[in-house]
Amino acid sequence: MVSIASATQYIVILRSNRRLALGISVFSAILIMGIVGPILYPRDPLSFAGPFETPPNAQYPLGTDTYGKDLLAQLLHGTRMSLYVGVLTALIAMAIGTLIGTLAGVRGGIIDEILMSITNIVLSIPSILLAILIASYFKVRSIEFVAFLLGITGWPWYARAIRAQLMSLREREFVYLSKMSGYSSLRLALEDLMPNMATYVFMAFVLYVNTGILGEAGLSIIGLGPTQGVTLGITLQWAALMEAFRRGLWWWFVPPGTVIVATTVSLLIIATAVDEIFNPRLRRG
Amino acid sequence: MECVWPLISSPSSRVLRFLGIRLAFLIATYIVAITIVFILPRTIPGNPLALLLTQIFQQAQANPEAIREVYRALMNEFSVGKPLWEQYLDFLARTFRGDLGTSIAFYPRKVVDLIMPSVGWTLGLLVPATLVAWAIGNYMGAIAGYRRGTAFEKSVVGVSFIISQIPYYWLAMLLTYIFSIRLGIFPSGGGYSVGLEPSLTISFIADVLWHYALPFLSIVLVSLGGWAIGMRVLTIYELRSDYMIFSEALGVSDKMLFRYAFRNSLLPQVTGLALSLGGVLGGQLITETVFSYPGTGYIIFRGLSTLDYPLIQGAFVILIASLYIANFLVDFIYAVIDPRIRVGGETS
Repeated sequence: MVSIASATQYIVILRSNRRLALGISVFSAILIMGIVGPILYPRDPLSFAGPFETPPNAQYPLGTDTYGKDLLAQLLHGTRMSLYVGVLTALIAMAIGTLIGTLAGVRGGIIDEILMSITNIVLSIPSILLAILIASYFKVRSIEFVAFLLGITGWPWYARAIRAQLMSLREREFVYLSKMSGYSSLRLALEDLMPNMATYVFMAFVLYVNTGILGEAGLSIIGLGPTQGVTLGITLQWAALMEAFRRGLWWWFVPPGTVIVATTVSLLIIATAVDEIFNPRLRRG
Repeated sequence: MECVWPLISSPSSRVLRFLGIRLAFLIATYIVAITIVFILPRTIPGNPLALLLTQIFQQAQANPEAIREVYRALMNEFSVGKPLWEQYLDFLARTFRGDLGTSIAFYPRKVVDLIMPSVGWTLGLLVPATLVAWAIGNYMGAIAGYRRGTAFEKSVVGVSFIISQIPYYWLAMLLTYIFSIRLGIFPSGGGYSVGLEPSLTISFIADVLWHYALPFLSIVLVSLGGWAIGMRVLTIYELRSDYMIFSEALGVSDKMLFRYAFRNSLLPQVTGLALSLGGVLGGQLITETVFSYPGTGYIIFRGLSTLDYPLIQGAFVILIASLYIANFLVDFIYAVIDPRIRVGGETS
């Protein structure tokens, strides 16, 4: 059972779990880069001001692209927007997943059957393929639209997981006890079910942020990403279109990909470490 | 997961029932997928059909004769003028017959004829790469889970974590840059050398394999990480189960214990294989555009740049169909190897 640990306990956990500490440091660095970076380095990522395709130098720390756009400015703004897409995707997917999973898990019976059939069907249609199909009909796509698309194609496994968790929790003794002592459904949900699912929800959130960041980049590469703004995916899209990787312009495609991988890996490390802390079966030693 | 004895029905009829349910589910899902293809262009604001027609009229200046044909074919395929339900039935019937309409960019070629050759390239890359990644990843993961606390486990976990998060298409760029541009070992894209005619000669096959190496490597590397991570956890859980602890106490050899744990942990990974194919396919389609690999991803990419909706829709329908056939094959294998289905007992 998950108890609310005090701040000192968290510090002990951080000290003893070096992987968690590493994940948190890397992710914090990226978060700071995305939030503060564009303020500290206030160059316009979309201005065609610079020289063409220059490798990194003192004036342009990460060089420029074919149009003379500053690639460090693009990286900082891109990191910010990619994180935004990730968080938004997670919120949308989890809102839908929670709604459907809870309805199915709490109501049971025919509602459960119907909702789970829908979930399984959506789960069987590859989400990125569906996202490609829908996105192709929209000529103008905002960053929020892309997140929405990734959210509405990505919710099924969360709905299934929430339902499974609720089903197994329903059978536990302490839930019976609370029911017998006359808890309302809301109180039951808030006091008995939520704390037990908190780590689970946290892990899912982290994984959906990854889905959003990777999904945006994937859609962008084939030209179906946001049609305005700067994201890491859009930088990669232009690098692919201009064949940067075939012409040796490594400073164009290596940094955005590195930030994507660093973000998703650090988040995954945090999620797994948290799972290990709260899941005794996986605890080491 | 207790077994129910005695057998209620014969093994073969159990397998058939399981497969029948799966087949019904896949067909239902396929119809839903086709329905999505039907509904999307008709509900989305901005009317893609009108957009298409404007685009056709723009091309009309170049070739006024052909345009009338395109227009008529399109009107016919969208069943313009008929009530919606009739349009839908028309659409379903044509899709099940394998008629996915006429391409606009490559008029008058049929969408099916354009896509089918590319599906071979895509599946030829997807299936071997996924199977190789599955085999290597699971083996590595099982050993890591069995030998906890060793340097091997730590390195498998560390490496798998990182590589499983690398987007295929970015790895594709890195591999091309390193192995093709820097080292000059592999070609920088395409399915075979420009100027070669596809044929069943040794030199052509060698050329195809030479071009195959980097796309194959990028998919195998990324997907094996996920399998290793999953298998490690499954093995750890399996090792804690009563029968394992009992066997160990009985003095069953180390090699035998590993085999028990490996075989039993592998079952969920077989089901996972069916689910993962879709995800890998999505990533691969994008990777194909980076490699200019002549698969369906590249066709979709070209369809997108010309707004060739029949082509994009057709690719979607055909890919989903091939995916479900592959899923069904995996189900079949699962039914054969899982004793709970083969012999009977509780399945869920």
